[in-house]
Amino acid sequence: MKTADRTILPFPGSSGTAGLRGLRKTLLDALRVSGPPVIVDLSSCGTLNHEDIDLLLECVAQVTGRDIHVLFVAGSRVTRVLLDVTRISSLAPVFNSVKEALAYPQVAAEKDSEARRASQTQGLWSA
Amino acid sequence: MALQGPQPHNRATRENLQPRYSSRKPILGNDILQLWMERVRKLGVRNLWLTSAPRDGSEACSALAALARQGVERLLVIKLKSYAEMDLADLVRFHCESRSSVTEAHDARGQLGVSLLDKLALDRMGTERESSRAATDDGRPPYQFNGYAKRILSASERQELVGDVLTGACAMRPLGTQVREQVWIGEGVNLADSARVIGPTYIGAHTTVRAGATVGPFASVEHDCVVDCGTTVERSTVLPYTYLAPGLLIRQGLVDGGYLEDLNWGAVADLQPAGLGSRILQRKARKQAFSEAPVDVFSRAASAFACDFVPSSTTAQPWLQVQL
Repeated sequence: MKTADRTILPFPGSSGTAGLRGLRKTLLDALRVSGPPVIVDLSSCGTLNHEDIDLLLECVAQVTGRDIHVLFVAGSRVTRVLLDVTRISSLAPVFNSVKEALAYPQVAAEKDSEARRASQTQGLWSA
Repeated sequence: MALQGPQPHNRATRENLQPRYSSRKPILGNDILQLWMERVRKLGVRNLWLTSAPRDGSEACSALAALARQGVERLLVIKLKSYAEMDLADLVRFHCESRSSVTEAHDARGQLGVSLLDKLALDRMGTERESSRAATDDGRPPYQFNGYAKRILSASERQELVGDVLTGACAMRPLGTQVREQVWIGEGVNLADSARVIGPTYIGAHTTVRAGATVGPFASVEHDCVVDCGTTVERSTVLPYTYLAPGLLIRQGLVDGGYLEDLNWGAVADLQPAGLGSRILQRKARKQAFSEAPVDVFSRAASAFACDFVPSSTTAQPWLQVQL
C-alpha cells in the first residue's frame, strides 16, 4: 500500500520457503530505491521465527548509510518484546501502530525540539 | 506446621499464554521454602507438612480441617507468597496473648500468608473457604509485622527482592562467593575473559557467560545457565537451566527456558521459534550426583514441588510430611 509519502508493506511472517522468498523480494525491492520511508507492518504476524528476524535485520542493513528509512510497526506487545530483545528496536524506529509510524517525523521533530529546549534550560541554570 | 506452595499464575490473555513464575524458583541461589523451614526449625517445631495448592486455597482449607480431625491442636500455616524476616516465636507469643483462634500476620500492605490457627478455627475451616475469612470473623487484630517483607508472587516483585538482596537491604544473602563489591559468583561458573560483570550482580553455580556478554547491573543469572556471546542481561533474572542466544538484550525481564516475561511491556514472549532462548536439559552427570547424595529434608521438600511449574490445575498436590 502506498500513501502520499510512505510505502506500507505488511509483514505476515514467513510461511514456508516460497512465502519467505516472495516476502524478502518485496521488502528488499521496496528498500532498494531511494525515496520515502518504508513502513514494515508486523501487526498480522503472530510470532517471529529466526527467518523473520534475519529478514528484518536484512531490511535494516539494506537502508544503513542510505537516504531511505525503514520503520517497523510491532502491532503487539509480544512482537515489540522480540524486537527489543534482538536489538532491532535500537537499529530502526519501532511503533505500536501504523498511525504512529505515519506521524513519525513530526513526533521525532517535536521530541528533538523538546530535548533541545530542555538542554538549553539546563544550560541557563548551570550558567 | 503446614507450608503451602502456591501454583504459578496461568494468565490466559491473548498475549500472555504461558505461566512464567513460581515462588519455588531460586532467588539468588536461595530457596524461599528452605528459608521458611529454617525459621520453623528455630521455633522448635519438628513436624511439617508440605503441599502445593491452587491459589484460591479452597482445597487446602479442607485439607487443613482434616488435620484438625487428626488431633492437631495448633497449626502454623505459611503460604509461599512472601519472603519475610519474621520472628515466628514472637508471632506465637502474640497469638497466645491475644487468645484468638486465628492470628494472621500482616505488614503495611496486608496479609503476608503466615497465620496461626487453633483447633477451633481449623474445625471452622471445614465449612469456611478461606482462612482469611475465618480470621476476619474472629474480629481480633492481626499480628503487625514491621520488619523486612516482600511478596514474591510476580516477576516484578521478585526482581525487587533481588535488588534488595544484592544491595544488602535485607538479611538474605546470595548463595556464592563475593568476588568483589556487590558481585557474587557460585561454584563452577565459567566466565569468559571478555565477559563483563557489573555489580550489583549474581551468577549462579555452573553457569557459563561467554565472550563479550555483559551481566548486570541488578542481574541474577541462576544456576546452570548459558549466556551466549555478546548478550546483555541487565536488571533481569534468568532462571535455572536457561540458554540465551548470542547478541540479545534482556532488560527488565525474567527468562525461564524459552520464555521471557518483559516487565516493561507486561508481555510474555516465546523465544524458541526464533532460536533466541531455550531450556537446557539437566545434565545426566549432575542428576546422578544428586541421586547419590544423602537424602535430606530439603531434597525431599524439593521433590515434593517437582511439578511446581506446570500450569495451574484445580487439584491440590498431596501433603508430604517432613521431620525437621
